[in-house]
Amino acid sequence: MSVKARYDYDFPSADRIENFGADQLVYVLWEGNPLFCSAAAFRVPRAMPFGEFVTAMVHPWAASDPDFDPGAIGGWRLFDEPLIAEPTMTMEGAGIGHKALLRFTAR
Amino acid sequence: MTHTVSRAPVTARGKLPLKERYALLTRDLGWEPSYVGKERLFPYTTYEGIKIHDWDGWQDPFRLTVDAYFKYQAEKDRRLYAVLDSFAQGQGHLTLSDASYLNSIKLFIQGITPLEYAAHRHFAFLARYLDGPAPRFAALCQSVDELRHCQTQVHTISNYNKFYGGFHSWSKMHDRVWYLAVPKSMFDDAMTAGPFEFLVSISFSFEYLLTNLLFVPFMSGASFNGDLPTMSFGFSAQSDESRHMTLGLEAIKFLLEQDEGNVPLIQAWIDKWFWRAYRVSALVAGMMDYMLPKPVMSWREAFELYFEDQMLGGLFPDLSFYGIDPPRHVEAAIAEKDTVSHEVYKILHNFSFAAAFTTQTPSAGHLAWLSGQYPRTFDRYYRPVWDKHRRIEAAGGRVFFHGLPQLCQVCQLPLAFTEPGDPATLSLRRSEFRGETFHTCSDGCQWVFEREPEKYVQARLAVHQILQGNCGGPAMADVLDWYGIQPGDNGEYKDSPDALSWARWHEGSPA
Repeated sequence: MSVKARYDYDFPSADRIENFGADQLVYVLWEGNPLFCSAAAFRVPRAMPFGEFVTAMVHPWAASDPDFDPGAIGGWRLFDEPLIAEPTMTMEGAGIGHKALLRFTAR
Repeated sequence: MTHTVSRAPVTARGKLPLKERYALLTRDLGWEPSYVGKERLFPYTTYEGIKIHDWDGWQDPFRLTVDAYFKYQAEKDRRLYAVLDSFAQGQGHLTLSDASYLNSIKLFIQGITPLEYAAHRHFAFLARYLDGPAPRFAALCQSVDELRHCQTQVHTISNYNKFYGGFHSWSKMHDRVWYLAVPKSMFDDAMTAGPFEFLVSISFSFEYLLTNLLFVPFMSGASFNGDLPTMSFGFSAQSDESRHMTLGLEAIKFLLEQDEGNVPLIQAWIDKWFWRAYRVSALVAGMMDYMLPKPVMSWREAFELYFEDQMLGGLFPDLSFYGIDPPRHVEAAIAEKDTVSHEVYKILHNFSFAAAFTTQTPSAGHLAWLSGQYPRTFDRYYRPVWDKHRRIEAAGGRVFFHGLPQLCQVCQLPLAFTEPGDPATLSLRRSEFRGETFHTCSDGCQWVFEREPEKYVQARLAVHQILQGNCGGPAMADVLDWYGIQPGDNGEYKDSPDALSWARWHEGSPA
């Protein structure tokens, strides 16, 4: 079903990838840690290596929990599937697209 | 202009009986257009597909006239402003239960008062654009009511602005701040719909189905926590609210009686707007259970009384006569009654560094109250997390979420809700539209999105706007400045300017 209107109802998405230049949105969920209400949202260069993304962006956020141990991070998933990504692969190269949800565990 | 009005004879002195005055005011102020077509005069009442055969079928149960209306409202205003003056002159704010109580009133003026103004604007629109004179006049009265509510709330709460943070820029905040996008986007959604959908959304779903959950908790909270002025504007608005509720019900029955083809349209709007309004009420749930130093009743108890008993038990059996079923996803809302307030306050506690109110970890006594109110969930799922916060704070720390949350495309709250019946698993829904991924927090919001994706892809999600650079700058300080949040409005309550002032003002007082 579409919107009922008195004219052609057609507007672009507010968060289309073009609005983020060479970057994109990526969400990261620390699974099973109820200290965080939800996943975090990041603006990430599509060419950024996955390993750099984890250390430069995910670690500082996860350290909101003083018990966070960077060495314990693992079990990465992309949406519901296991994520196969080498630290040197770019976000794009690892198949992590605009508005993808990544999940990890750290226990 | 050709009038086809047959005027009742008016004697030189005596006034007409109320019934005749009302008839003159409404039905007889209508006329048949002579030099433009009806569809040009009323261009908005056909495209939604609703069929109205007889606008005179609208029964206004109150039959208010302008002179009677102004007389009642003036009397109520006199009483309210007398209370405001005496509270201000007697430094009444010092007799509140605690300064932290005012966080709920900050949420109210930032989140709810601007909705009164928005309702005023849109009912003024309906007062011009509905075809029938009686519903136009009902909309006009409601438009004036809503403006009065906005004004009395601003006047009432402005007294606290002299002494406490967070009350100063509520109008700007409503347009800009992330958690206020939840009520704002719901009203924007309603105001950009057609007139009949607006009536079902605001008059019926918001003002009838959920008003006791959205409005009453603030007023009872005021009463329990010594906030006489807020309680008084609540009373002052109450008779208007009950009139609006009756009109909401009258509107929906009128639409249902006009044409059988209207029934599925109304049902779909009830399905959509129950869920939209219910998600806004989640903020009230968090407020009720966590922000009142003297809690009134738990969200669960209020939900059971005001929604399950009164609406599902009372209203919907009546509406089934018209072929209307209880709202879609109502079971999910019922399943959430033991979880939703905890999940929402967790959001506010995580992010109050970016809010115009403060939050705090519940005290031991408050935790015990929550435990008693939520025997099915609290000790198992929420107490261990609050215990961890208490340990961290005892060591001098305070956990905030050092980042931005993932937001729901429809309700615009963080994706912080859990699967119905499973409080340990986040409920994450995903849809694709025109090759782009959209995330929603629940089956309800996903259903709303997929029904009209063209509308919701335009959502101005606060987090994504920050990340696009549209909110003052990249640093959190830039964003707070752009939000109109001043240092000390936000963050942790315990070391906030409000808490420090409160302690100073009560130094040496008997306990």
